[in-house]
Amino acid sequence: MVIRRLLNYLKPHYKALSIASLILLIATFADVIGPILVKIFLDRHLVPRSFDRRALVLLGGGYLGLHILSVGLHYYQLVSFNQIALKVIQQLRVDVFSHVQGLGLVVFDKTPTGALVSRITNDTEAIKELFVGVLVALAQNFVFLIGIFIAMFSLDVRLATFCLVLLPTFLCLIYGYRKVSTKVYRTVRKELSRLNTKLNESIQGMNIVQAMRQEERFREEFATINNAYYRAAITNIRLESLFVRPAVDLIYTFALILVLNFFGVQSLNGPIQIGVLYAFINYLDRFFEPINMMMQRLSQFQQSLVAAERVFELLDDDRLTKEVNATGSPLILDGQIEFKDVSFSYDGSVDGAADVLKTISFTAYPGQTVALVGHTGSGKSTVANLLMRFYPVTRGEILIDGEALADFSDQELRSKVGLVAQDPFLFVGDISKNIALSRAGVNEKTIREAAEFVQADEFIRKLPQGFQEPMGERGATLSSGQRQLICFARTMAGKPKILVLDEATASVDTETEEAIQSALGKMRKGRTTIAIAHRLSTIQDANLILVLHSGRIVERGTHTELLLKEGLYHKMFMMQQGSLA
Amino acid sequence: MLLFKDLMWFFKLEKKSYGMGILVLVVVALINLFPPYVVRVIVDGVDKENLSQAILLKWSLLLLGAGLLIYGLRYVWRLMIFGASCRLGRLLRKQLFEHFTRLSPRFYQEHRTGDLMAHATNDIHAIEMTAGVGVLTFVDSLTTGSLVIFSMAFFISWKLTLITLLPMPLMAWSTSYYGGLLHKRFHKAQAAFSDLNDKVLENISGVRVVKAFGEEEAEKESFRTLSTDVVEKNMAVAKVDALFDPTIQLIIGISFFLTIAFGAKEVVNESLTFGQLTQFTIYLGQFIWPMLAFGWLFNILERGRASYDRVNMLLKIKYEVFEREGVTDRIPSGEVTYQRASFTYPGTTQPILKEIDVGVNSGQTLGIVGKTGSGKTTLFRLLMREFDLSEGDLRIGGLSIYDVTLGALRSAIGYVPQEHFLFSTSIAENIAFGKPEATLEEIQAVANVAAIHGDILRFEEKYNTLVGDRGVTLSGGQKQRISIARALLLDPEILILDDSLSAVDAKTEKAILRGLKEKRTQKTTLISSHRLSAIEHADLIIVLHNGMITERGSHAELMTSSGWYASTYRGQQLESLIEEGGV
Repeated sequence: MVIRRLLNYLKPHYKALSIASLILLIATFADVIGPILVKIFLDRHLVPRSFDRRALVLLGGGYLGLHILSVGLHYYQLVSFNQIALKVIQQLRVDVFSHVQGLGLVVFDKTPTGALVSRITNDTEAIKELFVGVLVALAQNFVFLIGIFIAMFSLDVRLATFCLVLLPTFLCLIYGYRKVSTKVYRTVRKELSRLNTKLNESIQGMNIVQAMRQEERFREEFATINNAYYRAAITNIRLESLFVRPAVDLIYTFALILVLNFFGVQSLNGPIQIGVLYAFINYLDRFFEPINMMMQRLSQFQQSLVAAERVFELLDDDRLTKEVNATGSPLILDGQIEFKDVSFSYDGSVDGAADVLKTISFTAYPGQTVALVGHTGSGKSTVANLLMRFYPVTRGEILIDGEALADFSDQELRSKVGLVAQDPFLFVGDISKNIALSRAGVNEKTIREAAEFVQADEFIRKLPQGFQEPMGERGATLSSGQRQLICFARTMAGKPKILVLDEATASVDTETEEAIQSALGKMRKGRTTIAIAHRLSTIQDANLILVLHSGRIVERGTHTELLLKEGLYHKMFMMQQGSLA
Repeated sequence: MLLFKDLMWFFKLEKKSYGMGILVLVVVALINLFPPYVVRVIVDGVDKENLSQAILLKWSLLLLGAGLLIYGLRYVWRLMIFGASCRLGRLLRKQLFEHFTRLSPRFYQEHRTGDLMAHATNDIHAIEMTAGVGVLTFVDSLTTGSLVIFSMAFFISWKLTLITLLPMPLMAWSTSYYGGLLHKRFHKAQAAFSDLNDKVLENISGVRVVKAFGEEEAEKESFRTLSTDVVEKNMAVAKVDALFDPTIQLIIGISFFLTIAFGAKEVVNESLTFGQLTQFTIYLGQFIWPMLAFGWLFNILERGRASYDRVNMLLKIKYEVFEREGVTDRIPSGEVTYQRASFTYPGTTQPILKEIDVGVNSGQTLGIVGKTGSGKTTLFRLLMREFDLSEGDLRIGGLSIYDVTLGALRSAIGYVPQEHFLFSTSIAENIAFGKPEATLEEIQAVANVAAIHGDILRFEEKYNTLVGDRGVTLSGGQKQRISIARALLLDPEILILDDSLSAVDAKTEKAILRGLKEKRTQKTTLISSHRLSAIEHADLIIVLHNGMITERGSHAELMTSSGWYASTYRGQQLESLIEEGGV
């Protein structure tokens, strides 16, 4: 099943594949002819001692010529097969990566980053081994074996038939080996994983182990697992010794005895061609190399298949975000936002037990700022997540300019709704690129305007390369406040109608604090803004402040109104004042 | 080759296995010379038409015998040599692990778990390879190679041997040349792959930004570009890599040609028989492997060498905490006194603790508060001798902690760390971690005190519930309470709670503190906390600021002075009100 799916990836390359196969066939043909030429030389010239110069030159030249041809073609086919394999893996990688781009945030929330990265790069790399190593080797060896058999049949049908018997012997050997080895191999993997788990856990919890004086016990436990792993490894060695190389060599000896006896017995009854004997022995020698190779690749083959299964599992993940086409999409003109009885749970349950938002309703009129405050876990960030359509709204409604959020095209929503996230995320690339991204409407001028607008241009110009300053490793050379200013510029370069500020002031350092505050003020002007605030001082001028607690709006009003109420907002305000003092 | 010298201690340790293995290996190489000889006899017999049924049978049986013997002997040497290499792996892993158990926490701060894991797995595997496949390749290619050349030269024709081996230096030269080329290109390919990896990592960690700005298509495009680069760099590798086989093929083919051409002349001169010529070509076939193997051997040795150095470096790291001579192993009682204790982390200049003077009697509770980085945890680590004081003394039960064995000292202390770490076994085993022989009643009793008993009973498997990946996912608060139960089970003279109530709610915190008070009447308890409610009840509270005690006294005393303690306490009360929804 997995193999068939992998092989499907070869389809687009059928042309290159057929050419490479053809070359392989010719090269193998040239390979196989060699011993026949020697045979002709031995039987027609050496035995009768008839050395016709012209014939000899022809034979010798033919042999060398064919040999060089075969070597050249072999090189060519090796390179071609490698190229095909690499392209197949590239396609697979691009497919997985593209698929992941379309996955909903639920997947990213639930899968560790490392696991996703590993699927896209490491696992596909393991499959590369399958294509480059195993499949190519199998194809070559298979063709080679067929070539040898054809040559053998052309030399002596009866003996070749005898040799055919060898094939089922090998199949039995491979079958038997696989059958026993999967079990042994699994034990080895299991013990290895136990060993690694124990090691990992011990290293991480070593302070506990030492504080509770359990070192001796851990040493013993580790020794037990270490021993078990050793025993499994030894069993594996025994198995491989019995089935793989030594066994193949033993069969070679049997085959040699067969060939020698065949000719020996024949020679008792009359003269035979000694060249044929030579050729057969020569073929026999060559016959066993590919077999050995194939046997050795078997375990690699199994590992690659496991990796492929994991990759396909990710490719088959159907938790995709719904794509909305641009045609017929409403437009965001005024930027009025309305939440109507929105309830939400991240795990998709509807019974209300896991709800992080409970019947939230509010309206942000065009140009107004609505601020959401509350302690960690009160649900404020979820409001932003829903508005950005990171998760689908299932209960209640979100409307923009009176139209359902789900009806807007991706294009419209993303160009009109600008997000500033809590963690200023920068891509590898220079500052210009980080502000512009891939948006069509953003040019050199807009980049500079945006940077000036948020007052980021000041520090950018001071950088050695200005706007062309490269941002390595998530912009580690800049302060978090500077990074946040770049993110502001990025958002403003898209000229959004609606701003979503998700704790945009959380990562601010004292140096940039002022710049950030004034930038935020300018950004909010004339735009509908949903501001999720960490510090109350940043949203005192909001048109509406919503205080969230456990997913509910418990207080709403302007700053002054809320202070007069002397409720939760008042307490929070007092506390922050206190801690600032 | 140097690595073989480094590993000599092990080869000596396993001299029986290696001696036997190598002996058998040489014997196999010798017997391997036999089948081509049989071929020669038969071919000559056919050629000279003097073969008989009896001769044929005799040689066939001999050949069969040789084949079976080789099969058996190969099994033996594999078991000997590969088995020994597995034992080397086992031994090194054991040494490394035992070394790990003796290293101080500082070591674990300076080394990442992933790196340590890599040393204990990949590096040891590479060394194992050297001691197994490496030794085999070395011995086998040397003996087979020289035996084959020897037989070709002495039993058949030294002239023909010379001529045949003529192209071989070319092979050695070209493979080493390719090797150098490959090395460089391989590095580039690795770099390209690593770029690709970074791109994916960036994309996944920035997924919200990518989605918010609709960057998916651009990201796909940039991934496509990078993956094309990977293909190109790998193709550059493949183009060199693919040279190896054909080159070897070419040279072996030329050798064969030379053999047949010059061999034929010898046959005509009658200085060589047909059988000998055939025998010679089979030997030539046997010679390919040692040539190939030698190049491979250097690769294995190079990797093994680097790995061995890394593992050795780890093994050479010294344990940082030593015991003095003639110290007592009597478990001290719970009186703790810091006497002008100062401490600076090794390798730094900034002191973490400055002249700390504080003491508690058995049965008392000491509360330690202060901002992050003020030195609270360090105070505990010094008591457990994870580090040694720079100046001053630390006394416990009337003795300096340096006059007590590490074992006795740690027996007196039950520690609940800040980062709660549980092992992936059952909950019961986790609680009984320091006392594996504890009964279920004992375990339940401490679980009760730690206010986790009720939670555990709600799990399907109760106390047998597995923790971690294969079991339940516990909340931070649950983990903390299990850690507390784990320390309580030891009923230590001194219990340390290092900010270990941070993830439990106020009500549970109260319950746990009440339980502790009841259970530990004659024992000492040290608590550090960010939340002041956790240490409110302590007999003595100290406030640490930049490694110095800035305030000290009971809760009531500290509240009357308007210092950091009082203002923080009021702020936190307000905060907890907000968290409870302001009511």
